[in-house]
Amino acid sequence: MIIALNFDMSKESTTLGKEGETIAVDHLIEKGYEILERNFRSQQGEIDIIAKENGFLVFVEVKMYSIGSYGTPLGAIRKPKKESMIHAARTYLLKNNIKNTNCRFDVLAIYRSWKGLSSFDLIKDAFHVS
Amino acid sequence: MLVKVNSAAISGLDGFIVEVEVDSIRGLPGQSIVGLPDAAVKESRDRVKFAITNSGFEFPPGYFTINLAPADIRKEGPMYDLPIAIGMLASSEQISTGKLSETVILGELSLDGGLRPVNGVLPMCMSINGNGIKRVIVPMENADEAALVSEVEVISCENLLEAANFLNGKISKKPHVIDIKALFSSRASYDIDFSDVKGQGHAKRALEVASAGGHNILMVGSPGSGKTMLARRLPTILPPLSINEALDVTKLYSITGLLSSKKSLITERPFRSPHHTTSDIGIIGGGRIPRPGEVSLAHMGILFLDEFSEFERKVLEVLRQPLEDGVVTIARAMSSVTFPAEFMLVAAMNPCPCGNYMDPTKTCTCPSFKVQRYWGKLSGPLLDRIDLHVEVPRLKKEELSEAPKGETSAEIRGRVDKARQRQIERLKGLKVNCNARMLPKHVREFCKLEPDAENLLKSAIMHLKMSGRSYDRILKVSRTIADLEGSENIKSNHIAEAIQYRSMDREK
Repeated sequence: MIIALNFDMSKESTTLGKEGETIAVDHLIEKGYEILERNFRSQQGEIDIIAKENGFLVFVEVKMYSIGSYGTPLGAIRKPKKESMIHAARTYLLKNNIKNTNCRFDVLAIYRSWKGLSSFDLIKDAFHVS
Repeated sequence: MLVKVNSAAISGLDGFIVEVEVDSIRGLPGQSIVGLPDAAVKESRDRVKFAITNSGFEFPPGYFTINLAPADIRKEGPMYDLPIAIGMLASSEQISTGKLSETVILGELSLDGGLRPVNGVLPMCMSINGNGIKRVIVPMENADEAALVSEVEVISCENLLEAANFLNGKISKKPHVIDIKALFSSRASYDIDFSDVKGQGHAKRALEVASAGGHNILMVGSPGSGKTMLARRLPTILPPLSINEALDVTKLYSITGLLSSKKSLITERPFRSPHHTTSDIGIIGGGRIPRPGEVSLAHMGILFLDEFSEFERKVLEVLRQPLEDGVVTIARAMSSVTFPAEFMLVAAMNPCPCGNYMDPTKTCTCPSFKVQRYWGKLSGPLLDRIDLHVEVPRLKKEELSEAPKGETSAEIRGRVDKARQRQIERLKGLKVNCNARMLPKHVREFCKLEPDAENLLKSAIMHLKMSGRSYDRILKVSRTIADLEGSENIKSNHIAEAIQYRSMDREK
């Protein structure tokens, strides 16, 4: 399917992303996540949402998809993104002096339909440090 | 929690115990494998992850370090999948650790949690004897092979879940047992038989002598005269393997992965016939981590080199040392390994490039320098090491159509078996098992000549200008001929027959 995008792409992406994160937070809270921080940044990385769930400290990456966009959420998490998240996660653990806690990386994919309805795909333990 | 799981590895031909230590800390999720793992071991991380989740277990959180001790020996192959998975499950308390210290675990995992067979189970099981190990858990396909070692209990499992349930005491499994004697009781039946070959009584007799004493033999003859046919029928008249010999051969096949899951013990002497394009490494063995070559795979059996003079000279010359010593030592940067290589060399070649040299009916079209070059490939020292040289002439028309059926393999085998039995009794406790492998001092001790035989040998040596090695080889061959006849001492007719098998020495 071809979609004509005749307005400013970068602006559209940011708003889509911001909007997505708000929807994501709502969804995660609904799923029992306790949100600790949003948009945590380290020198070389960032994490969209940091939350607590079931004893785990969870680092969540939110991926927003409108219908017709390419790829799958896991395909979008490539090595640089992984490394950025791992770096940020390490910084967060160090800054807050968190030890002896099991951590997890989750990916939350949000699919937007034309009518503005969203469906979610929460991938728990999406990747490991290698 | 720190968990130790026992596994095993192979270095050369011997196994040793590898301790798989698994521990985890809470933190970012991940696993690292240390202790000199090769690519297949590193990849086990991914297989283990899916095998664990697909078997209905929970993949444990935290950062895992898996250490394969001793850490200074390279670990290769996928046999650590199962011990790593069990270690991770035990570390996260999904498996009880009670039985782990007395159990060795081997096996490759598939993504669905099923177990796949691994190489080298027999030598690994042989090495774990003692060490406080009571049992070994192996994949189903390796169970027969592992059960050849009767000192350890063999538990065969189909998948990770079954192994976990066994370790948890949820199910009890009977140790897998195998009747080694029964494996030996039935001898293989062959579709081919010596009676298929018409004529060639002389060559058949030479092959009978060769297989009775384990001597090397070279057959020279024009194309289509039946050299290959004769050689292929050689396994049908070879004496049986003893249990210890069979285990040695099986060990070699186990580490090279040539053992089929249906036939756990090799009870027949191996017959290897590598093509003449085979490299010297292929023949002798080698590689970064040394693997046995054709000479070792033919251990206790036959190495048949068809078109002998078509092999590269380099390849033929590397045969010299194993022919003499019965072992090959392969040294590489990684390690130095000694493989056994007590084989019987059976070589076949044409007398010249066109194949008609010395043929009574056809004329040879080769210029003499070509014939010389053809024979030049075979060095003196190599020919010296071949005890029997025999010509296989083209059959005449009337022989082809009328020749009476020769002896069957079973008849010849009866004589060969008896002759070999005599040798085994005579050489009991000497580490050698056939006449061809006798050391010089054994030759002096056991090859007693009658006076006229001694005279004959002396004059033959003088007239035919034979080397010291030839002298020894003639004595060994005549000892075998005497054994075939059931004679205690070597008589002149035995010596005479042995001398006429050295035709290449005479021609030079």
